[in-house]
Amino acid sequence: MEFEESGIGEECGVFGCVAAGEWPTQLEVAQVLTLGLVALQHRGQESAGVVTSDGASPPTYTTLKGMGLVSTAFSAEALLKLRYGNLGICHTRYSTTGMSELQNCQPFVVDTLHGQIAVAHNGELVNAHALRKKVMRHGVGLSTSSDSELITQLLAFTPPTEELDAPNWVARITNLMTETPTSYSLLVMFKDVIYAVRDPYGNRPLCIGRVVPVSKLHKSGGGDSDTEGWVVSSESCSFQSIGAKYYREVLPGEIVQISRHGVKSLSVVPRREGDLPAFCIFEYVYFARPDSIFEGQMVYTVRQRCGRQLAIEAPTDADVVSTVPESATPAALGYAQQSGLPYIEVLCKNRYVGRTFIQPNTRLRQLGVAKKFGALTDNFAGKRVVLVDDSIVRGNTISPIIKLLKEAGATEVHIRVASPPIKFPCYMGINIPTKEELIANKPEFQDIAGYIGADSVQYLTVEGLVTAVQKGIASMQGDKMIDSTYKAGGSVGHCTACLTGKYPVELEW
Amino acid sequence: MNHTEDSNETTAPHVVKEELLASGRWVKLEKTTYVDPAGSTRIWETVRRTTRQTNTNADGVGIIALLKRTLHKDCVVMVKQFRPPMGCFTLEFPAGLIDEGESAATAALRELKEETGYKGEVVGVTPVTCLDPGLSNCTTQIVTVNINGDEMENINPTQQLEFVEVLLLPLDEFQTKIDELLKKEEIVVDAKVYIFAMGMVQAFFKPRELPVLKQ
Repeated sequence: MEFEESGIGEECGVFGCVAAGEWPTQLEVAQVLTLGLVALQHRGQESAGVVTSDGASPPTYTTLKGMGLVSTAFSAEALLKLRYGNLGICHTRYSTTGMSELQNCQPFVVDTLHGQIAVAHNGELVNAHALRKKVMRHGVGLSTSSDSELITQLLAFTPPTEELDAPNWVARITNLMTETPTSYSLLVMFKDVIYAVRDPYGNRPLCIGRVVPVSKLHKSGGGDSDTEGWVVSSESCSFQSIGAKYYREVLPGEIVQISRHGVKSLSVVPRREGDLPAFCIFEYVYFARPDSIFEGQMVYTVRQRCGRQLAIEAPTDADVVSTVPESATPAALGYAQQSGLPYIEVLCKNRYVGRTFIQPNTRLRQLGVAKKFGALTDNFAGKRVVLVDDSIVRGNTISPIIKLLKEAGATEVHIRVASPPIKFPCYMGINIPTKEELIANKPEFQDIAGYIGADSVQYLTVEGLVTAVQKGIASMQGDKMIDSTYKAGGSVGHCTACLTGKYPVELEW
Repeated sequence: MNHTEDSNETTAPHVVKEELLASGRWVKLEKTTYVDPAGSTRIWETVRRTTRQTNTNADGVGIIALLKRTLHKDCVVMVKQFRPPMGCFTLEFPAGLIDEGESAATAALRELKEETGYKGEVVGVTPVTCLDPGLSNCTTQIVTVNINGDEMENINPTQQLEFVEVLLLPLDEFQTKIDELLKKEEIVVDAKVYIFAMGMVQAFFKPRELPVLKQ
């Protein structure tokens, strides 16, 4: 709940589509792109941008950018401009520290020696500062402070082995990937092809889907001849609603070429010797939509498993288990199932109220709670309640809720947090508060229960979280494609830097 | 006040008699004697089909079928075939004659299935309209049909007639696609098709302008 209230968010979502078969295509590429963005809306609500290409030589790119939610950013008339696209990429942006101007909205379109490219980026380059200096030393001027401009400039750099009229995108992208280890999931569109790239640590997610006729979506058949298009997305949650079958993940370090002829893996850039992958564990804990699939497992299932693990590590002598709606619900259900306590609902959420807890003082925060939550008194009056939440970061959002429940008749309120305490900053794209603001770093953390007014507080341990996440990867069955990509890669690893202080790569200042 | 007692001025034009000149298996040629609006008796050479059914005033149906698939552009189903009277290939809407006992709607769905393989649903039927009234009495009813392209039977359907080529043209680029086809191939486009295309352009792009064909 606190991630939602504090506005701690993922940096953005990326999505792309290439129509298969004959061009000009009859597939409504612009509609598929828009629907993909809507499905990724939880990753960014500040602005949205779409760039389509007609795939010709030379190509015509059409750009559409707008502020706010996808449903309001683009008018039906504006979308008509995109109707000649045979492929396209798009992007939703989260509030970042930079200015929220239309020019800063991705995807960026830039001229290179071989023609225009469009780039959509999810993540934050850990060595951006040093890299900017390096790029500027080479004589390139930068006009924004965004990582995405840096990426686009690095892609425009001509690799030494490249011939005059034959662009070598593998070399260019590989060059970028050796200059910066993490974190980025990238879509690069050039003429009639999309290159999907994931950094060697796989910190941010990226996966591919295959568009098939709607009636063949749920049949196990649906052969190659049925492919109507290919889509690539930060998360797979969009696939089913646009009639795409989940195909596979882009592996950490992989450069994949997606064209009208299909999906081709061009290269896998390795990590530094001995390093494990570092997929952001908070995608599982909070950021991703519950119906998305990572590493062969559904996010909802992992959250539920975290709840079970929490019940094993931190059992409670209580009467009922409940959730802070809605993100903590899978974990709360898992806790209830494991502990055997009945699951009930105690809070009613007003979904029309946005963030309420940016209030400076206690009284205003309480008024904020009054707007956002109501107590379902009859369900728990006179009972001891276990309340499961997915995070406590600063500690000032859960306390008014505890007060609300106690005043409504709960005899005891025990908080169980389905993630470990956050202690360290993130440099890979999550805007976590500064070290000093994090409750886990304050002296109050010694008696956190007293601080927030609960009868007890327990967090999931780091080992517990990692176990809950990795258990599903080791034992997965079913889709051979997913199986073989993971077995081929061999290793599994998650970034827990914000929990442990161990970063996947050295940070350069 | 005019005193014209001439009975000719008050008689509406009408046919006096029809004489058969020649008849084939499908088509016949007649000499039509008629009285014109000025009252003079004249002759017209008339072509008629021999196949018109008794329960209808329409010889046949023309089908405007829209193939609708999720997340795809709506496409008009067209047929390209060799037409002996024209001596070349034409681009037309699927069409056919109404058989005995059939309604226009039934005939339309049957012809559509035979010529293109698609199974459609009738949305509307126009009144009986004439095709080439200076030459013949041939009439048609245009039947608008929707095809649910998501259903299994309408995905890559097999058609039953070998010499008819099925073309799918996106509705929102109908005239553009037809013009592209004309540049590439020696075909003649059916008038109903081209007029429909012009109407779509007018409605889609220039709702308040008068239609003008650029030369």
